[in-house]
Amino acid sequence: MSAKARARRSNFLIDVCLFFICLALLLPLIMLIANGFKTPAEMLVWPPTILPRNPTLENFVTVFTETPLLRWMFNSLAFATLSMIAIVATSALAGYVVAKFPFRSINVIFILFLTTAIIPFEVYMIPLYFQVKALGALNSITGLLIGYLVMSFGIFLIRQNVIASIPDELLEAARIDGAGEFWIFRHIVVPLLRGPLAALAVLAFFQAWTAFAWPIITLTRKTSFTIEVGLANFQSAYTVELSLLSAASAAVMVPSVLAFVLLRRNFVEGIAASGMKE
Amino acid sequence: MTQVEINDLRKSFGPVETLHGVSFEIPEGAFAALVGPSGCGKSTILRLIAGLEEVTSGDIRIGDRVVNDVESKNRDIAMVFQNYALYPHMTVAQNMGFSLRLLKKPKKDIETAVHEAATILGIDGLLDRFPKQLSGGQRQRVAMGRAIVRQPQVFLFDEPLSNLDAKLRVQMRAELKAMHQRLRTTTIYVTHDQIEAMTMADIVVVMRDGHVEQVGRPLELYDRPVNRFVAGFIGSPAMNFVPVTSTAGADAVVLADGQSLDLPQFRALSGAFDLGLRPEHLRHTAEPAGLNVTIESSEQTGSETLIQADLAGQSITALLRERFDCHPGERHRLTVDPVFAQLFDAETGARIDA
Repeated sequence: MSAKARARRSNFLIDVCLFFICLALLLPLIMLIANGFKTPAEMLVWPPTILPRNPTLENFVTVFTETPLLRWMFNSLAFATLSMIAIVATSALAGYVVAKFPFRSINVIFILFLTTAIIPFEVYMIPLYFQVKALGALNSITGLLIGYLVMSFGIFLIRQNVIASIPDELLEAARIDGAGEFWIFRHIVVPLLRGPLAALAVLAFFQAWTAFAWPIITLTRKTSFTIEVGLANFQSAYTVELSLLSAASAAVMVPSVLAFVLLRRNFVEGIAASGMKE
Repeated sequence: MTQVEINDLRKSFGPVETLHGVSFEIPEGAFAALVGPSGCGKSTILRLIAGLEEVTSGDIRIGDRVVNDVESKNRDIAMVFQNYALYPHMTVAQNMGFSLRLLKKPKKDIETAVHEAATILGIDGLLDRFPKQLSGGQRQRVAMGRAIVRQPQVFLFDEPLSNLDAKLRVQMRAELKAMHQRLRTTTIYVTHDQIEAMTMADIVVVMRDGHVEQVGRPLELYDRPVNRFVAGFIGSPAMNFVPVTSTAGADAVVLADGQSLDLPQFRALSGAFDLGLRPEHLRHTAEPAGLNVTIESSEQTGSETLIQADLAGQSITALLRERFDCHPGERHRLTVDPVFAQLFDAETGARIDA
């Protein structure tokens, strides 16, 4: 067999493998969307059908009329967006400072930042709950945000990027040119960190969008639920309304998939750039 | 009038002192080069003048004020960095106009200033490009343009040509010099390359280990170095040093292998010395005079011949302005005009005045 034919054959085998891996990844997603269009009876059929035999929109109608699904999506969107803005802002500033102002006190603070990453949220979830309760911030986005304003990984990511891609001379040149420290941050550092900041924004957004434990303990009123909490509500102690849950999940997935498709390039570039130097 | 004055300047990083009381003055409009091997503290001095590091003790005076506690931006200086430090996300024009924009100058004035500087440097066709679209030499010009636009009292250059290839370096050297002659702005130029210092500067400050060894005009350093270090550092190829002994009253110094060299100007001296001979002052001779050497290698460049030879157990270099065909192992005779020979104290390294 010639080298060319061998290469073609191995490429073909790789493609086949990738196809099945893709299928395995996509199948649950396809099933979920398909289930949204099935009747409760068909949901329980064995073997399960991939395409619904009698597609119905009833599940969607029920979900949108009987639950405040849109309200939940709005709550999630507001929570995730605000959390994303806060995390990007705090990470950019803190990451830059710990990277470029290496005083001993700042190094200690950076180590403290990192330490917070190894303490599981569940450890301080309950004390935090009582604090939020004392502040009267239960059932509000303010209360939700309290645990989602700073991300230690974000600070670390930006610090590494600043060290790798912003030479000291650039900042010194700006200082000699007459720029103040905040001006340097705003007009030199931030534009040069666009890639990693975009990647961090996506991470932060989805962290909040998919948050579950914290929202479910601070949100008790049905209208203030986030989408994750709302979806969990379809499942009570005795029943699981599988077809309604599927329809709601399918409806909810649309915005997040859309966001990922739109931001995909930034996301990949930002993560890739974090290990590279021009 | 003195433009920059450094007075007993000291700098410590933690417990380590890197500058041990440095003093020198640079007159207005002069081109001064700080030169020395790496780690001698020359870049530190520049950073202290720029205000990028804090002075431990001593004074830095620019114009008529002490600037020790003045912020960089208020020192009226401009600095060109070795890696150019251009803002990657700004165009050439934006890079060059950056400092004026910070001074809130009107847009029209900024444009005029940028265009003028760009014309001087021959980069007016590149104003809309980004730094990554430029070659090394072009980036260097933009960095210089950024400094010119500010019209500062003092230019600071930190090894600006080290990232360029040899040919471009020679070209940029001439351009820098021409720019200085045109603008007449006081310039302090840090380099480890003594050729750059010799060819460009009006004043050269030679440094070693955080001390100033000598301050002077380039040819002064070449002709009358204060000590062995300066003598060996200035000039290329470097000066040869051969140990000799001198006896008071004798016209000649004696080498380790017993050969002698007539140096009547040193007849009053007695003791051990290092004889300093510049490679370009050595001549080949067919007469039975001068010093016997054994050829180790020779390189012909067409216009001149560079010889490595053994003299009294020392390997020395001779640069002959002629074609000279010789082979390793051959014995030849080299002479030197006594006025060019220098003696250095064997212990302190200080040059002995004839």
